[in-house]
Amino acid sequence: MLLEVKDLNIEFHDHLIPETVVSDVDLTLSEGEILGLVGESGSGKSMTAHAIAGLLSRHDMKKTGEILFDGKDLLTCPREELRKIQGNDISVIFQEPMTSLNPVKQIGWQTGEALRLHTNLEQGEIKKRVLEMLELVELPDPELVYTQYPHELSGGMRQRVMIASAMICGPKILIADEPTTALDVTIQAQIVALLKRFNKTRNTAILFISHDLSLVKTLCKRVAVMQQGRVVETGTAQEVFLRPKEDYTRLLIEAIPKCERGKSMRETV
Amino acid sequence: MKKRNYNLLLGGAITGIMMLLTLMGFFYTPFDPEKMDAANKLSGISLTHIMGCDNFGRDIFSRVLKGCGTTFTVACGTVLIGTVFGTLIGAFTGYFGGIVDEVLMRIMDALFAFPSLLLALVFVSLFGSGKYHVIIALGIAFVPSFSRIVRGEYMRCRDLDYVKSARLSGASHLRIMFVHILPNIFTVLLSSIMIGFNNAVLAEAGLTYLGIGVKPPDASLGEMLSSAQTYLFSAPWYALCTGGTMILMILGFSLMSEGLKKNGGGRYAS
Repeated sequence: MLLEVKDLNIEFHDHLIPETVVSDVDLTLSEGEILGLVGESGSGKSMTAHAIAGLLSRHDMKKTGEILFDGKDLLTCPREELRKIQGNDISVIFQEPMTSLNPVKQIGWQTGEALRLHTNLEQGEIKKRVLEMLELVELPDPELVYTQYPHELSGGMRQRVMIASAMICGPKILIADEPTTALDVTIQAQIVALLKRFNKTRNTAILFISHDLSLVKTLCKRVAVMQQGRVVETGTAQEVFLRPKEDYTRLLIEAIPKCERGKSMRETV
Repeated sequence: MKKRNYNLLLGGAITGIMMLLTLMGFFYTPFDPEKMDAANKLSGISLTHIMGCDNFGRDIFSRVLKGCGTTFTVACGTVLIGTVFGTLIGAFTGYFGGIVDEVLMRIMDALFAFPSLLLALVFVSLFGSGKYHVIIALGIAFVPSFSRIVRGEYMRCRDLDYVKSARLSGASHLRIMFVHILPNIFTVLLSSIMIGFNNAVLAEAGLTYLGIGVKPPDASLGEMLSSAQTYLFSAPWYALCTGGTMILMILGFSLMSEGLKKNGGGRYAS
């Protein structure tokens, strides 16, 4: 098992009354698997993901349980070790491609950052790999994009850049925190196809967080449903979508908008 | 169509000319700024002495050139000290927050509570006057205001997504602070450096006016202005020319900082 989350609890302590945002979460992710994490806003999906990525601050917060990556507990391991894993073995793409790139740095520099931090490659070699990666995420004219700044790119292109910089070190796990929410539908499909391809060619496990169930249905083999900080249901995508055990899951599935053949198509388009 | 940034243009032009004159003052002045000439005592504006002469018959234009150099050095030194330490303190307090923030910022508050001139006054009376002491004294007095601005910017930036993704690619705190965030707050820093420069020019003039700043024979604009006030009626050009030079110096930088603010908005808004 590549990643194992056991009994994860997260409590905020920055107010007078402690607030539990994630309770008793168990998740597993094996190599090359795509796990969908679904649930409404505020159900603790992102908090869980942030905890796995080691993004949560170490004060103001109580965390119990274990997050085992290759047998190492990410919650308790020293910061130096965590830093070695971040970007190298575990990468994250965020929801908002507009803000997740540094506005004053060139794309090439930003994409190569993880390489610069985790390897001792020379400048030239880094540039070569970055260009390859930009090519791989299907950005037109990588040479040009390399020298551009984020404000010169569209949302979809920025998200591709984000994926490129997340994948540059060949991580074992990619956490995609609603990577398509801010994009329009055609771009969404392209980004999802891109993620799928990386999953196949590089055997990268993906933790795909989304509240878009139709997307999760097409992408993920296994699905975990979260509600109010708890995982209420896990199973293969087929099981969960065809025979949901929980009422909550059934309601979520019913909320997927459907197109009725013929009449509504013409009205909505 | 892109609107032209007149503030920046005009400010740049004024500052450019002033800088040229200042630079010139380091190497060449039409007359020896220290040479007294009893015959020309308080003589008015003429072709040979384009700003007239002072009470010792020294050429005011030459002294202004020299004085610009001194004032400029003091202002730059002050701003340098203020910026470097202010940025360091602001970066650490703003980025980490918590106890570091509390302790350092309360110390800054204490420093801030003193008027900067008074603080410099204490320093100078403890360690003696002179150009370099003035620089250090004013520099320390300027640290709190810079650290405050920088701290605010770091607090704004530390939870932005791009900082998070830098952290996620395994960057250390120092790298995030100075490689990832610092370039982003550069415009804010730059315009406060310019304002700081102006304040430093004024503070230096104030200190010298009080007689504890730059010591003669070093000419500085403040020192000249304070001796000019005695002759405000008999030789008004003395005060007007030195004061005018100082105004131009400050105006240039003010306009530039205003222009930079306007320019900076567009690039960072996206």
